[in-house]
Amino acid sequence: MLLLKLFSPLAFFISLRTIGVVILVFTNLIVCLLIFMLIYMYFRSKREKNQVNYKLISDLLIHKAVFYDGIMLPETLIPVTKRVKKLIDNKYFRNRLTDELVVAKKNITGTSAENLKHLYQQLNLEQYALKNLKSRYWHIKAKAIQELYLMELKEYEFELYPFANDKNELIRMEAQVALVQFNGFEGLLFLDDITYSISEWQQIKLLQKLSNLPPVHVSIDSWLKSSNISVVIFALKLIRNYHRFELHDAVLQCLDHPDPEVRLQAINCFSEIYTDETSIHLISRFWREGLKHQLAIIKALQNIGSENDNPFLLTLLHNDNYEMKLFAARALARSGKKGLASLNDYGSYDNKLNDIIIQVKGELAA
Amino acid sequence: MNWQAFVFDGFTYLMMLYAFSLMSFYVFIGIFSVGETRNYIRRNSFTDYRMLASAIDAPSITVLAPAHNEGLTIIENVRSLLSLNYMHIEVIVINDGSTDDSLEKLIKAYDLYKTDYFINEQLPTQPVIAVYKSRNLVYRKLIVVDKVKGGKADALNVGINISHHDYLVIIDVDCVLEQDAILKLAKPFLEQTDKRVIAAGGVLRIANGCEVEGGRLVKIYLPEQFLPRIQTLEYIRSFLLSRMAWTRLNGLLLISGAFGSFDKEIVIKCGGYNNKTVGEDMELLVRMRRYMEEQKEPYKVSFIPDPLCWTEAPATYKTLGIQRNRWTRGTIETLQNHKKMFFNPKYHILGLVSYPYWAFFEFGGPIIETIGYFMFIVFCVVGMISWSVFFIMISIFSIGVLYSLFAILMEVLTYNQYKQKRDLLRLALVAVAEPFVFHPFVVFSAIKGNFDFLMKRHNWGNMTRQGFTHRHKTKS
Repeated sequence: MLLLKLFSPLAFFISLRTIGVVILVFTNLIVCLLIFMLIYMYFRSKREKNQVNYKLISDLLIHKAVFYDGIMLPETLIPVTKRVKKLIDNKYFRNRLTDELVVAKKNITGTSAENLKHLYQQLNLEQYALKNLKSRYWHIKAKAIQELYLMELKEYEFELYPFANDKNELIRMEAQVALVQFNGFEGLLFLDDITYSISEWQQIKLLQKLSNLPPVHVSIDSWLKSSNISVVIFALKLIRNYHRFELHDAVLQCLDHPDPEVRLQAINCFSEIYTDETSIHLISRFWREGLKHQLAIIKALQNIGSENDNPFLLTLLHNDNYEMKLFAARALARSGKKGLASLNDYGSYDNKLNDIIIQVKGELAA
Repeated sequence: MNWQAFVFDGFTYLMMLYAFSLMSFYVFIGIFSVGETRNYIRRNSFTDYRMLASAIDAPSITVLAPAHNEGLTIIENVRSLLSLNYMHIEVIVINDGSTDDSLEKLIKAYDLYKTDYFINEQLPTQPVIAVYKSRNLVYRKLIVVDKVKGGKADALNVGINISHHDYLVIIDVDCVLEQDAILKLAKPFLEQTDKRVIAAGGVLRIANGCEVEGGRLVKIYLPEQFLPRIQTLEYIRSFLLSRMAWTRLNGLLLISGAFGSFDKEIVIKCGGYNNKTVGEDMELLVRMRRYMEEQKEPYKVSFIPDPLCWTEAPATYKTLGIQRNRWTRGTIETLQNHKKMFFNPKYHILGLVSYPYWAFFEFGGPIIETIGYFMFIVFCVVGMISWSVFFIMISIFSIGVLYSLFAILMEVLTYNQYKQKRDLLRLALVAVAEPFVFHPFVVFSAIKGNFDFLMKRHNWGNMTRQGFTHRHKTKS
């Protein structure tokens, strides 16, 4: 009974009465959870019914604004019913209306979009968004920023600028998109100051936002020297997407950047901006790089290479790595008639290499 | 003190310690899952996924769908995969030695032709018979591979060898995906700046009883049959609570083989799927994590709580038993292959928390539970039954029911797929019934799995399915 002595306090608790109490507690907890769920579901379904109603009212209002045919002056008021005026104080209705307005604004352009913005301001909804900017919850702040930029309220740009380097990633992301939405390419100036990394997701978001705007010549070269690696990578993507040929030499310097991701992006960039000598630079660095970068170089050569690169590519057909052989064969085939001819002449005892050559020729014929 | 008392006391306190640890994990899982799910929902409540669908910088993704004798539904299922909303995608269907007319049906439906295709055999596999592509440009994303039968892992390795893209999405060809599933699964790989995301998993939901049309889920219903319904609860508990909690801790060890995404580079560096185990999904993820730990590279495994993939659950005890038996053997094989990590501080959370949790509770749970039942009977017979043992059992049952109810609550508060109050009550009823009806069978299947493992039985087992609402045939 040594163990029982050691755990004697425990033994005291494990009495019949305790067991009864424990069972009672658990049963009560189970019943309480069930009751809570049922009550929650009741209120939820009630709220959902209200939401259907709110959506209907919001849709009618939005419809009215979109098809408003009067002249829209700053002092013009889109007719709003008393019911809506009363309901606007209701948080749930206000949120629903705001969400519906934001969605509609995202999908509409021109005068109708302007009317929606007018309605948003007429109902004083931006005051609530500004209030939400001071919220202690990051998701409320981020949503408020999104609301303001989607409604194109450029006048609040200065309120949003500090958030572009906020410690919270979501807030930061929305504020950066806001600056781009308001100022186009010039909005990217936040890249000069940001200390946090820009995620790939955010880069895609920014590039997508920019793709809807007319390209403006902004100075990118300073970002290529940024100590923030993600800024350098983003700058390289901008150079590639907007074919900034004048920055070819600056990109060339990135091939010697200590960060491998920057070097990889620079190699990819050369698929779009290149000169007659680009392939020479890429080939000269080829053996210094790892496999991933080497494959990227050959892939770039598929687009920019000339017949002058053929001797180099032919040497790669002897490499042990079959992926490299496949890429090299593709580059040779695409370099011109001589490249294709050299592939045709290439006699090999390596069956796999022969399969590669057949595949590449098939791709060319397709 | 006589030896019987010593054994009795020792056993009682060991069981109490075990029960207390298990309950602690339940509490930890509950708390952590709430935090992670709340964060996820907040982060993504105003995300516009559409922009990723057409973005030129979006990551390129290969969907790998191994198929064996799926002729009945393969055309519809492949069509569903081809209609996924994503630009940089290729769909590779691997016909793993089917003996039915799957391949012929695919060739006819998608106007396929045999193509000269070089396969870079980075991973060793069974021979490939032919690679097919479509003459129809509408299906240009589709590649069909016909190969000698080698099992799911082997088929996936063939797919990896053929894949051109950077990320892999593995799905069971008979699953039904939501239209935006790939967009949501791609996001975690793009969000991290300080860590490499090596894999991302998605929630599996039970599709039994749901309406499926043209490879798309049209209406969601709670399954009418008892077993699928109880598994609905089990999946909610597992995906919405357990996996979310482990994700928060960055200790997730399992991404379902039916739906998950992986960084191809790491998969290849790790040697691809292991075709010597029946738990290839778990084994791959553990190996990937182990590789990253050994390389000392910061990494993360993500998990998405959105219901993105719907699958058919076993509806008979026979198929359920086969499935659970296989899962147990898969777990044992994985744990055995990576025993080096057990309480090894070099592997951080993986070695100190995740692996021991799986060893003690996922693998050891059914064994300890069986011993517990056995000893309870023995003590009853010899008249040594103590209220303390009874107390432990009642506590475990009650905590289990509470945990299930908490999972239902989480479902109601988050995705609320079953909107009827009646459904909620039926789920709650199932939660109460589970420890007495379903759980003992699962424990029995796991014990059988242990036994089969010891007997060196490594077969996959034949899984008979009923099919969705309009399907009534079976596959082997």
